[in-house]
Amino acid sequence: MSYGYTGKILHVNLTTSKITIEKPEEKFYRTYMGGSAMGMHYVLKETPAGVDALSPENVLALCTGVVTGTPISGQSRLTSVAKSPLTGCIGDAQGGGYFPAEMKFSGFDAVIIKGKSPKPVYLWMHHGEAELKDAGHLWGMTTGDTEDKLKLELEDKRIEVLQIGPAGENLVRFAALISMSNRANGRTGMGAVMGSKNLKAVVVRGKQKPTIADPVRFKELQKLGTANLEPTGMDGFGKYGTPGVTTPQNKSGGLPTYNFNSGNFDKHEEIDGIKLYKEHLRGHERNEQNRFGRDTCFSCSVKCKRVTQIDEGPFKTDAKYGGPEYETLATFGSYCGISDMDAIIRANALCNMHGMDTISCGATISWAMECWEEGKLTLEDTGGIELKYGSGEAMVKMTELIAKREGFGKILAEGSKKAAEIIGRGTEDYLITSKGQEAPAHMPQVKRSLSVIYATNPFGADHESSEHDPAYKAYPERMEQIGLTNPQEKLALNEEMMRFAMVTQHLSSAVDSLSVCAFIFGVSFQLYDAKQLAEVLNAVTGWDTDVTEILAVGERRLNMLRAFNSREGIGRESDTLPKKMFKRPLEGGRSDGYVLDEKEWEAALEDYYRLCDWNVETGHPSLKKLESLGLGWVVVENEALSKVVS
Amino acid sequence: MRIHVELMGPLVDYLPEAQSGQTSQSLRDGATVADLLNELNIKRKVVVAVNDDEEKELEHVLVDGDEVLVFTVISGG
Repeated sequence: MSYGYTGKILHVNLTTSKITIEKPEEKFYRTYMGGSAMGMHYVLKETPAGVDALSPENVLALCTGVVTGTPISGQSRLTSVAKSPLTGCIGDAQGGGYFPAEMKFSGFDAVIIKGKSPKPVYLWMHHGEAELKDAGHLWGMTTGDTEDKLKLELEDKRIEVLQIGPAGENLVRFAALISMSNRANGRTGMGAVMGSKNLKAVVVRGKQKPTIADPVRFKELQKLGTANLEPTGMDGFGKYGTPGVTTPQNKSGGLPTYNFNSGNFDKHEEIDGIKLYKEHLRGHERNEQNRFGRDTCFSCSVKCKRVTQIDEGPFKTDAKYGGPEYETLATFGSYCGISDMDAIIRANALCNMHGMDTISCGATISWAMECWEEGKLTLEDTGGIELKYGSGEAMVKMTELIAKREGFGKILAEGSKKAAEIIGRGTEDYLITSKGQEAPAHMPQVKRSLSVIYATNPFGADHESSEHDPAYKAYPERMEQIGLTNPQEKLALNEEMMRFAMVTQHLSSAVDSLSVCAFIFGVSFQLYDAKQLAEVLNAVTGWDTDVTEILAVGERRLNMLRAFNSREGIGRESDTLPKKMFKRPLEGGRSDGYVLDEKEWEAALEDYYRLCDWNVETGHPSLKKLESLGLGWVVVENEALSKVVS
Repeated sequence: MRIHVELMGPLVDYLPEAQSGQTSQSLRDGATVADLLNELNIKRKVVVAVNDDEEKELEHVLVDGDEVLVFTVISGG
């Protein structure tokens, strides 16, 4: 009897159309718990060293976690892993909504996809079975239209669809996987990987609810979540969503503005979460935005998703494409100097419609805008579009062109790092990338532990890989649960902050392997803390895990990601930050003058390597560390890795 | 004494009548940050900055004319 998980992993070879079902032992599930760690098991086993991210040999793993599909807040998440076409390193992206739960109900914990179909297909997973179906008639369609067509074709309105839009088909390097036409496995270009395989969608449907080992304890934990809503402030988080942090970020000098040249946007109130709620959520005219302007994920009581609709004008938008998160308000807003909320809403909708990461898309456009402002781009380059800071019209137009790989969009679709290589003219000086992935809207100059996390994270600059600095002091009881008891002063970049970075990174890694929501489970503002996460896990699975074991799963996953990069010959030399973070002090607001000191940062980097037990010179994990995490097999099975670890 | 208070983000709901979560709050002399939060009925975890300075603990004593910013600590987005 398996509790929580189905015990079945689907394997699909698109080249041969062969579909098989693997039934791993319980130990496999307990070792990885699902999500990212489980996906990495297959990527490390089944891809050759040096694999081309857009080749049939790349493996795309889509994995839920052992608690996915149980009726509690924050469990309906799925992680996608594969080599990334954006960074050339490992790629990793999480997404939520209803698809992850429904995939579990369809009878499978994960699907591992390799090869390339000779023609477009979709994978139909339903009621314990799976088959490939023709998708030629869907190829080229936007996500909303594809979903509508599939519901008609399969005669079931309750199917869930994880798909690529035209951007994935066009191999835009930061193309996303989209479910519900408005939820994204956004980062690192997993949509392009799926597009390269001629796989348009994974469609799921089923009624196989997970069995819960201790339903009595589980019910108590469900009730605890409801009781925790107000004391944690998650009721307010649900009401205003992630956009609620826009003005606070600005006040603390940390709202990235003008392509990360400032942490202060004087028009921040035009694009913040309070304004979005009051004046832009669907239903706001009748004060019914709580009912019509918010949405949620399977079984989650927080209800933090946004729904927007613009009925007329140049930025007309359908509600099926959701509404912007904080990151999107920043990347299409303050990064570009844009204060027009309608333009941002339209850009968000275009990304959901065409299947693109809003962070990389907005940040690639803001990089291009800085290049324009500095005289490095001409009207001839941009096809007649004036890419000025503040132009919502130009930003929206460019978003469309990127999705279609038309005009200047053809170059920007490569991501800003490759675009800089193509254009030259010193445009690389304006990049805000680490490992080729554009920085999200939390500034390392202000929250300094992120300066090492962004640089070293195996899949590039990422804000959901660790807790942020202010949380250490603000949540002492929760931090103590993971052994962090020595909060530091603001702007500290020392060994203790590296310990904070690493340990919270292990917890985030575990969260992405359990495939639960980082807003619901964690050691700062979340609905449940780390001990409660262990209790939920145990109630579902019948295991006797604890926080220590959960952290070990996270450390295992992090080292699997790192080992993949090491196998590809990627080490310390790729652990970098954008030059401007060291060379160009921020301008204006509370962070005026903030800049990182290179020597101080390098010392912190080396502290971090030592704490992780990674070689300080090469950045590769030590053999001892890998073996201690049960990853000795990774070294044995990957010759290229065995040459660089010791 | 009077303290100028600005509540950030979702905390604006604790001052529903105020403009953008800003108000002038009357407190007894010698009141602390904890007293202010109590007065506003804020029981959840927050970060408090006084006069554009470092974040202050709950025991910090306020003085007349202080400008207080109250934040939530939410990362991600």
